Amino acid sequence: MLVISGLTAGYEDAGIVLEGIDLEVGAGESVALMGRNGMGKTTLLRAIMGHVRPTAGRVTFDGRDLTGRPPFVVSNAGIAYVPQGREIFTDFTVEENLLLGLLGKKGGAGRVPDAIYRRFPILAERRGQRAGTMSGGEQQQLAIARAIISRPRLLLLDEPAEGVQPSLVTAIAATVSAISRDEGMSVLLVEQNLDLVLTLTTRCLFVENGRIVDQSESTRLRDDATLLDRYLSV
Amino acid sequence: MAAVLLIALDAANFTLALLLVTLGLVIIFGLMNVINMAHGELFLLGAYTVVLVERRGGSFWVALLLAPLALAVAGLLIEELVIRHVYRRFIDTILATWGLSISLKQAVIVVFGPTAQQVENPLPQTVTILTTLYPGYRLFIMAVAVLLALGTFFLFYRTRLGLVARAVIANRPMAASLGLNTRRMDRMTFAFGAALAGLAGAVMAPLMSVDPQMGVGFLIPAFLSILVGGTGSLLGTVLGTTLIASAGTVVASVWTQIAAQLVVFGLAIVVIRLFPRGLTGGRRG
Repeated sequence: MLVISGLTAGYEDAGIVLEGIDLEVGAGESVALMGRNGMGKTTLLRAIMGHVRPTAGRVTFDGRDLTGRPPFVVSNAGIAYVPQGREIFTDFTVEENLLLGLLGKKGGAGRVPDAIYRRFPILAERRGQRAGTMSGGEQQQLAIARAIISRPRLLLLDEPAEGVQPSLVTAIAATVSAISRDEGMSVLLVEQNLDLVLTLTTRCLFVENGRIVDQSESTRLRDDATLLDRYLSV
Repeated sequence: MAAVLLIALDAANFTLALLLVTLGLVIIFGLMNVINMAHGELFLLGAYTVVLVERRGGSFWVALLLAPLALAVAGLLIEELVIRHVYRRFIDTILATWGLSISLKQAVIVVFGPTAQQVENPLPQTVTILTTLYPGYRLFIMAVAVLLALGTFFLFYRTRLGLVARAVIANRPMAASLGLNTRRMDRMTFAFGAALAGLAGAVMAPLMSVDPQMGVGFLIPAFLSILVGGTGSLLGTVLGTTLIASAGTVVASVWTQIAAQLVVFGLAIVVIRLFPRGLTGGRRG
């Protein structure tokens, strides 16, 4: 469904970060991207979203070419993004944050569906509260809820465990996993946290120096530490 | 007693007139962070819209409706041709909009000449307030300012369109990631600010000498009001204009116009020194 071929991209001041990425994520499939910091994982997600303009290669989604398209077009094509650091609107209420996940979409008027509050009960309790006053874990749930509220077919998740207490990480992983299963939503996860990768994904790709250099079934990582040692240890 | 009432009315009148002129700038500078040196010229174009319509035999009230529409279109053009190239580049913004300000002013001189134009007062009646006679049109301006300020507040803080506009301003990349068309919101927000400036110019035209320099006089107190009140806050702007305009009016009525200017600038310096982010922005540290 998501097909990336030969994707090359970088920043003016940092040079080339992605040096020809090839990857596919199938419908309903959940894939993890692992690798050390600075290897290009976040840049890859940003390039898919249209925040970084690729210099070569293609991004297609359901056969539609999205290479170099602006983020709002990519979003409307059915790809949702939860960036590193969550980027919730701290001055707005929980409900307003969720509403903003809908307002940009075609026919996106309406109201925040109750289903989203059933998935994330804490947000129902907090719906009138200013989002910036919530804990890291609650903000992460808000960022995920805001992304999936428009029922995307692919969710890009960048380090969702960062700044979240471990007990909540498991709960969040279970919720995203359930949504993925129920709605056939694919997930592309960037994460260093092995538990999250194991709960959420079936396949894991390893990124090094802007390329995909290896891959494995996620479950294999539980017992066999060689890949993690090779690509994650500093 | 009557004298005090008159000073109070004048202070309220100048406060609300300043608020009217500042509203457009609140959006363009306070919310969008564009230091628009050409804002006075948008105000100017609004006033000249009235001159143009009246020359063609149209009524003042028609001109009052046309001015914001004309300036919304002008705002769209300016945003597309100039502003969108300099977002978040402060020095470039100042240079570009300063150049725009000069060009617009000269264009007005080419078309209408350098001399002042008169716009007749459409409401010459006076109204008795307690013991004082007060010009009806000044009361009309005050009413328009209050309604526009409330309307703008409602639009930005109580509607979905306003929520989207504020989201784009608060975090542009994230808003875009959520599927919001940030370019379209930039265009619309800037055009709305320009329309407010144009409407202010049209409303103020009957009380002012309509000449190519008329925008300058309001530009500095408008910027000061926003800085004193705190950027990004409509309530702050109301506070800022009240402080700047009332201080100016009161001092001018008991002393001189020049003393009033000195007091206003002194006050602004003290407030900004104590509250660098403005009165609603919280104290330093």
